Amino acid sequence: MSVVHVEHLSKRFGKSVVAVDDVSFTLEKGSITGFLGPNGAGKTTTLRMIVDLVRPTAGSIAVLGGHYRDLDRPWTRVGALLDASGFHPGRSGANALRVVARASGISDARVAEVLELVELEAAARRAVKGYSTGMRQRLALACVLLGDPDVLLLDEPANGLDPEGMRWLRTFLRARAAEGKTILVSSHVLAEVEQTVDDVLIISKGRLVARGPLASLGAGVSPVVRLRSPQAELLQRRLQERGAAVNRLDDALAIRGPSAAQVGETAHDCGAVLHELLTERPSLEDLFLEIAGTRRPGS
Amino acid sequence: MIDLVAAEVLKLRSTRTALGLLIAAVLVGLVPAILVLAFAPADFLEDDTVGGFGLVVAGVTIVPLLGLVFGILSMTNEYRHGTITYSYLVTPRRARVIVVKLLVCFVVGVVVLALVGSLVTLTALIGYGVRGLELQTAPLFEEGVAQTLVLVLLAAGLMASFGVGLGALFRNQPATVAGTLIWALAAEGIVVGLKPGIGQYLPFAALDQVVSGGMTVGTGAEVGLSRPEAFLISLGYIAVVSVAAVYTTMRRDVT
Repeated sequence: MSVVHVEHLSKRFGKSVVAVDDVSFTLEKGSITGFLGPNGAGKTTTLRMIVDLVRPTAGSIAVLGGHYRDLDRPWTRVGALLDASGFHPGRSGANALRVVARASGISDARVAEVLELVELEAAARRAVKGYSTGMRQRLALACVLLGDPDVLLLDEPANGLDPEGMRWLRTFLRARAAEGKTILVSSHVLAEVEQTVDDVLIISKGRLVARGPLASLGAGVSPVVRLRSPQAELLQRRLQERGAAVNRLDDALAIRGPSAAQVGETAHDCGAVLHELLTERPSLEDLFLEIAGTRRPGS
Repeated sequence: MIDLVAAEVLKLRSTRTALGLLIAAVLVGLVPAILVLAFAPADFLEDDTVGGFGLVVAGVTIVPLLGLVFGILSMTNEYRHGTITYSYLVTPRRARVIVVKLLVCFVVGVVVLALVGSLVTLTALIGYGVRGLELQTAPLFEEGVAQTLVLVLLAAGLMASFGVGLGALFRNQPATVAGTLIWALAAEGIVVGLKPGIGQYLPFAALDQVVSGGMTVGTGAEVGLSRPEAFLISLGYIAVVSVAAVYTTMRRDVT
């Protein structure tokens, strides 16, 4: 069942800035989808259009079968984290949530529940201006959960989180996924979401350049084999002779094309000593360069 | 709608902005009253023109201006701190958010003026009693006590709503507060001084005439509108600004 359906969505700011260009995708019930792209790719604008904060220039959006603005008590159906700093600094964390809860007809008891869920109950009475970035992010997540919505749209939820916070976020997302929520989580850092998401949408310069399971998208991208060797210059020559693309910095090589096994065999053939040999998974940047350069939008 | 009103009231109660402006309003009303009651000559205080008691309550006429600033802050704070995102996410029918803010600020404007007016009147009664003077209030209520009080209180509410409308239109807090005060206190004053026949119809001049009960300019010739006339003109300005605020708010992107 389609929970969010976006079709030929475009957004133009002024005459020259095309923020989103003919984007189409569907979120199925119970799925976790990563919405990936570099800063300025159009992720936030797309999310804001889904929840009626930004008016599309063209295209259509259906959230739970209709316009977001037509949903009855929308905060109990869709939770959107779009701006973790969107709290009055002088208001306590609890009151910041109560304001949203009252406007949505949600009880104060639920405020206490979500504060406990994000482990902020001890800081609930403190003014938001005293919160760390990670605490504000948790407060924003608590706000999103107030109405216990079935759909979560999370824009860069890991922004500003320390490693502990990142781990907490991954656990948080997995727990929501286990509850059957439909989640769209945007990020410009692949590692933040790759352990959590089922599918990814990759957006670049406003256009959706790829979608599908992360593993299948990554499979089409050449891995980088890295090694360190006292004979790095010799190895570079041999590998280049065999058609590999090689970059060298002192005794370190970054090789595209052959597998680690093939590189190891080449080293053996020319008698080079290896101090390190590893295959590096493609980074998000690699994915962008590869996919944006070779695939047509929506393929 | 009731949920939205409850949320709006909590917004006011949960920050120091409203409390700070309430304290300022009380001080603006009471301090001049106490100083006049303490130091003005007895014959001045018993003057049966607007002079005596009029000067005691002069501070109260500034309170609606604080209401205007309160209205502007209540709307522009949403943009300044980004809380507008949650406001419109929770209530995507944005007109409702603006209308509730207009209503709540209207009520706050009325209540605060009523409170400060009552405190100042009580202080005046005590001050006149202590000094053994006779209170002359008739000149302030030439159009009838009830009508005058109702129109003045409503004007104070409208001023706060006017602030909300301006805040929704312009969004930038410093520019809206500064621009509005410069317009209200300086620009309109110049027009009223040079062309009183035109100036009397300007928005803040009209609201001021409701609160102060007319204006006297130039060579002593009294010009200006009656309170009901000034009130109706003020109502027109607030209606236009409110409709413009709702119209633009519904069409703007929240980025």
